[in-house]
Amino acid sequence: MSEVKALTGNKCAALGAALCRPDLSAAYPITPQSSVVEQLADMVYSGELDARMVQVESEHSAMSVVQGAAAAGGRVFTATSAQGLALMFEPYFRMSTLRLPMVMAIATREMTSPETIWSGQQDAMSVREAGWIQCFCETNQEILDMILQGYMLTEDPRVLIPVNVCYDGFYSSHLVERVEIPSQAEADAFLPPYSLPAKLDPRTPQALDPMTPGELLMKYRRDHLESMRAALAVIDEVDAKFAAAFGRSYGGCVESYRMEGADLAIVTLGSACGAARDLVDELRAAGVRLGLVKLRFTRPFPAERVKEALAGVKGFAVVDRSVSFGWDAGPMYVETCAALGESLAGKAHFSAIGGLGGADISMAHLRETALRLAGLAAPGRAETLWLMD
Amino acid sequence: MRHVTPLGNQGMYILDTAAWRVVRPVMDKNRCVNCGICLSLCPVGSIYAEGKQILISYDYCKGCGLCAAECPKQAITMEAEVK
Amino acid sequence: MSYIDTIKKLPQVMTPGSSACQGCGGELITRRVMQLAGNNSVFAVPPGCMAGAGVDGWSYQNGCTAPIHITLLDNTASFLSGVSEMYQRKGRGDVNIVAIAGDGATADCGFQSLSGAAERGAKMLYVCYDNEGYMNTGFQRSSTTSLGSRTSTTPAGSAINGKEQNAKYLPLIMSMHNIEYCATASPSHMMDMVGKIKRGLECSKRGFAYLHIFSPCPTGWSFRPDESIDVARRAVRSNIFPLWECERGRYYLSFDNREPITVREFVKSIGKFASLGEAELNALQASTDSRWALIKRLCER
Repeated sequence: MSEVKALTGNKCAALGAALCRPDLSAAYPITPQSSVVEQLADMVYSGELDARMVQVESEHSAMSVVQGAAAAGGRVFTATSAQGLALMFEPYFRMSTLRLPMVMAIATREMTSPETIWSGQQDAMSVREAGWIQCFCETNQEILDMILQGYMLTEDPRVLIPVNVCYDGFYSSHLVERVEIPSQAEADAFLPPYSLPAKLDPRTPQALDPMTPGELLMKYRRDHLESMRAALAVIDEVDAKFAAAFGRSYGGCVESYRMEGADLAIVTLGSACGAARDLVDELRAAGVRLGLVKLRFTRPFPAERVKEALAGVKGFAVVDRSVSFGWDAGPMYVETCAALGESLAGKAHFSAIGGLGGADISMAHLRETALRLAGLAAPGRAETLWLMD
Repeated sequence: MRHVTPLGNQGMYILDTAAWRVVRPVMDKNRCVNCGICLSLCPVGSIYAEGKQILISYDYCKGCGLCAAECPKQAITMEAEVK
Repeated sequence: MSYIDTIKKLPQVMTPGSSACQGCGGELITRRVMQLAGNNSVFAVPPGCMAGAGVDGWSYQNGCTAPIHITLLDNTASFLSGVSEMYQRKGRGDVNIVAIAGDGATADCGFQSLSGAAERGAKMLYVCYDNEGYMNTGFQRSSTTSLGSRTSTTPAGSAINGKEQNAKYLPLIMSMHNIEYCATASPSHMMDMVGKIKRGLECSKRGFAYLHIFSPCPTGWSFRPDESIDVARRAVRSNIFPLWECERGRYYLSFDNREPITVREFVKSIGKFASLGEAELNALQASTDSRWALIKRLCER
């Protein structure tokens, strides 16, 4: 039976990981992620969780240790944020391109400079071309659930791509919400034990990653891209399986909220979706036909689903908690426009950037965004809106 | 499986290093005492034992001359490779 | 069984035809370590001469008969920590977990991961073949390059002549991590080297074992390939490379060099030292003497 508790996002990530019975976890402390590994350590040191815990000297080594354990046939977990993610980039890129499955939580945080430790999605967004699957969570329940779903997804033979479960630092990592925690038996019934063969085993001697000529490398890259595409369907399958087991469905790659008959849409991701829902309710009551498109996965980018969700709107704004240098916009705005292709014509749209470095994305900011959108007369791109007080 | 080369898939990566050789070690079995020092120092692993006998294989020998230089009995001489 | 009989009997693990240069110390060391560890091992060989020589394999071909991975230049020890933990967890602690890495991957950018794994007592044997520079990329300076040495990034110029700093003495730093086993070895003293590789493998079952092996490089250092072993011997006999081991905090001298030759006798015939003058040779002799004195004192009972 599930248990109901009030929990922080970080506790949910740790509990989610523990329910998946990892063989090994290695991590290095960094704000706002640290309590994930602290709680895993508690469980291991109290004997509650039968797993190896390796306290490394850096995130570079955290990713390297889990990489070695995954290559030796283990289910592994780690978590990080911002500078830690940047430091581990080298083995991070290699984890996905070695096609080793794993789940890593990212309590997202703004990148330095200027010096900051607060929330922002610049860290995860900056590594979205590193070959990982990335999902973004709105609630603490979703964090826990997506860790469980993440292992099923990453270990699917059609996928074999590591998964990032991202959630907003502090807003989600440190705030408490009501969460249903599945029992170990329920988790076991959902997620089978790890069964992929070890790549480094004297019983089946092989060279893992010999020097590879370009022709072969291109084949591997094409395979990787094809698996990313295949993952889109697997994400929906896993969501359906999860719903059957636990009664909670998140809609797969994209969730549409009150998009029926919507003229206008706010597209966003992560914890900002909570405020966006309230705003949609408020403006709908006032007669504005506004809806929310919640981007749940950014890699693979669910282009078709986004296009479908926005098919009927006259205008949309994408609210990003990070920037795309060189586009004068947020990265998800750029990608949403790319996904819409020809159907972008005839729509009014703009990028809204807010919530950097721990700043809030408030109801007032979202109201400003929606009302500006409602007031746009002509189709095409309007100037980027900075959500600042 | 991706990015892995199972043993035997296309065999070992073996270069024809014998082709590099400009001089070849020739062992004078009258002087050789089969001590095996040359075998222990050959970087290529080209010197082998057959029973008590120490012998040189030319399959991969690169002709570095370490065996000749280190032989305590001066039983190995480097001779010009004739092709 | 004598060490030569051991070498005779054990099959080769490394490919017979690697592209290592003629007279390569690294190839000899790698061949010996792999042979003694055997096929019930997982090897990690990061980018460097031995990876370039094909030990990690090439496209669909293997460079050895055991499982192997080309780690990143800077994560060999941490990657193997994960492999080692998994083999402990599977109850297969008999599998040898072995790194064979050059000095760049060990003393420079790989040092943080190495130090972390050593401090944690990760169960593995880490072997550094020290050829005193980045040989595979064309002999650039590393932190273990010796004082006065000419490299492609510390050329023998008229304003500055070779490397201006002393070599970082990594084996002593590693022994200070309180590891299970730490030793230096030289292919010129093969019996000692074979014994240390075996001891290192045994100790890797209990904790971290580290071997620092002198690896003469004819191509980078500019000497004749058939001189490799003699250069290594002179390095030991001149105290440029003292042989010692340390087990659980106790230091032992492996070769009590009672009549050392001079540094001048070591550098003769080695091209990378060719432009050294009196002052530079005196400085190299002085640093060599002081290190030897330190090692001797550590080894006193």
